[in-house]
Amino acid sequence: MMKLFWPKNIEIEVAIEQLSSNQPNQPFDQEVEAFTQSLSKRFLRMRELPEVVALGYWLRKANIKEMQTAFEQGTVQKIIRSRGTVFHIAPSNVDTIFVYSWMLSLLAGNRNVIRISSKEQNGLNVLLQIIIEELARTEFQKIAKQTIICTYGHEENTTAVLSAACQTRVIWGGDETISSIREIPLAPLANELAFPDRFSLAVLNSDVLSKLDEVQLDSLLEQFYNDVFWFDQMACSSPRLIAWCGDNQQAVNRFWKAFAQKIQQKQYELMAATQVLKYTTTLMLATESNVENLKNGTYFSRVTLSNVPVDVRERHCGGGLFYEYNVDKLEELADVLIDKDQTIAYFGFKREELESLVEAISTRGIDRIVPIGKALDFNGVWDGQSFLTSFTREVVII
Amino acid sequence: MIAPYHLEREQKSAQLLDKLNDLTKWHIEKCSDYKAMLEKSGSVEQANSLEEVPYLPVQLFKLLDLKSISQEDVVKVLTSSGTTGQQVSKIYLDKETSVSQTKTLVEVMKPLLGSKRLPMIILDTKSVLKDRKSFSARGAGILGFSNFGRKHFYALNDDMSLDVEGLQAYLKEFAGQKILLFGFTFMIWQYVYKEAVSHGLGIDFGDSILIHGGGWKKLKDEAVDSLTFNRLLHEQLGIREVHNYYGMVEQVGSIFVECSMGHLHTPSYADVIIRNPITFEPVAYGEQGLIQVLSELPKSYPGHSLLTEDLGTIHGEDNCPCGWKGKYFSVAGRIPKAELRGCSDTFQGGTK
Repeated sequence: MMKLFWPKNIEIEVAIEQLSSNQPNQPFDQEVEAFTQSLSKRFLRMRELPEVVALGYWLRKANIKEMQTAFEQGTVQKIIRSRGTVFHIAPSNVDTIFVYSWMLSLLAGNRNVIRISSKEQNGLNVLLQIIIEELARTEFQKIAKQTIICTYGHEENTTAVLSAACQTRVIWGGDETISSIREIPLAPLANELAFPDRFSLAVLNSDVLSKLDEVQLDSLLEQFYNDVFWFDQMACSSPRLIAWCGDNQQAVNRFWKAFAQKIQQKQYELMAATQVLKYTTTLMLATESNVENLKNGTYFSRVTLSNVPVDVRERHCGGGLFYEYNVDKLEELADVLIDKDQTIAYFGFKREELESLVEAISTRGIDRIVPIGKALDFNGVWDGQSFLTSFTREVVII
Repeated sequence: MIAPYHLEREQKSAQLLDKLNDLTKWHIEKCSDYKAMLEKSGSVEQANSLEEVPYLPVQLFKLLDLKSISQEDVVKVLTSSGTTGQQVSKIYLDKETSVSQTKTLVEVMKPLLGSKRLPMIILDTKSVLKDRKSFSARGAGILGFSNFGRKHFYALNDDMSLDVEGLQAYLKEFAGQKILLFGFTFMIWQYVYKEAVSHGLGIDFGDSILIHGGGWKKLKDEAVDSLTFNRLLHEQLGIREVHNYYGMVEQVGSIFVECSMGHLHTPSYADVIIRNPITFEPVAYGEQGLIQVLSELPKSYPGHSLLTEDLGTIHGEDNCPCGWKGKYFSVAGRIPKAELRGCSDTFQGGTK
């Protein structure tokens, strides 16, 4: 069922026609910037929804200005125009992702069509409510006319119509979704950004870890907790594999013990079905030769690996399951990294060491290396590509 | 005392523990996957109590082919019922396990059905038995229970419609005799009871005893519990004695049938343990938790100790007013599904 959240009381075909008749903007248009500030203020107040607060924080004035400065520095003496209409297909899980995608496209100057998931979501309705209220304000009339927000089931026809009408298509979703949407043709001049399933890890230096006092360890665990559990360990960039570097086993034991206490203290809601699923998954993994041993605890399960084959990544069930893998030197981690691997959250390494690791990676893998605690932070460069670049085009005059 | 509900706690748990320990050892030797699971998780091989016996989650049989016999020795493969697209469990039986399953079922039901074969009406279609080597849970159940009856009559046509004429002729033929009725809870509700109501059929099953199982999930949606079910079946169809049973295809030998007080009972060769759904620690009687089932029968596959996804409560042991010994319990239904938000499927929920 097609449902149009914005504009209201109008058919989708008419909405597309109206949208296309409005001129796109210059990058970093003033009304757009004002709109982002307005949203930022409202999102920051949603204390009970940390991912919405994070979005509000990302949209704050200083960050937008910083993006603008960087963008303008990179495009000095160049003529940059928006692409036209960007069609965003948002995933069903990370409620806020469509807003990031849309905001960057808006900042680039585009008109936007957003297809949000038809699945009912708790956070989404509140988020959508705020957005619609803001779009309805007279000072944002221009943006309102350049925006369509809709949801529909698996009606390929709508996807086909929107794909033909846009200059850029953005697909957030699993591998299957991407391949099925890619069967639907885009307009010949359109480009596409696809964000498929990824796998992420954390790497910790146990020698450095052993030197932390209780307060420092607690603060690290707080960060690690956020990375892991904000999205039940199910976001692309949530760490699922923990690589240990160094050989201080005592520090490793202390880390896990304190982490169990942290989860308990955070009152993370454990669910029976997840507990059974973790138990099932670990036992199934035990039949693999690459699995050395496993420990099932109440708060999380740990599976020690002697190698990290592709299928082990596929079997990860989220909800507090950690694969562990040991390396003597950070660079050795490169041997097990595959195309699918996206983010490394790290602790206890210098920039040069991380740079050598990147150099040692021979696959397509790894697009982000961030300190533990920043794994879920959204950035204008994602999966190796810059949104503002992909959402704009350069006009050459010679 | 009535076997197999005759053993009291101490004697029963000691006997059962020995047998379960032997089975653990046997499966470690015969099933390399099982061995890897126990070894790598550091589980005890020789348990000192029933609670210590290592348990596998039932879902594992959907993900792995687990067996402790060679492929040539497989005489039967049981599969769990599942809606299309779902993975089903595959349970491999050899001659020995298959025979002991049949024998055990007879013993479990004997206190209710006696040893004489009764005229039997199966409240299902005959077509579920088509494949003789691979059995769905429904097929396996029907086949197993068929041994208690004679002159089997299948009350449903292949299109699930009720064979009213055939049924009435059968009831006429055996009027005045005790008849055994068997079927699956939901099938009986949907295709027998509701049919009878909507067509105003006044069927009287007379002096009959109904044994049914398969779960209450769908009936729960219609807010029908066991007491309502029994009452309505009595009112509409004249069925006087109804016994529900709890069991699963993944564990042969675990058939827990309701006594005259309406409690599910554990026979001497099977048991249940209730565990906290989060920590998996055993909980006290009276407390609800995940049901773990134990059975001394599964020898052809490592299914002697299984953690289910069902919630239940043990109400007592050896002191049920019905006179049967053993633990008695009730089942509350499935644990709610986990909805972890994954970075997948934009189109989740849509049909292709």
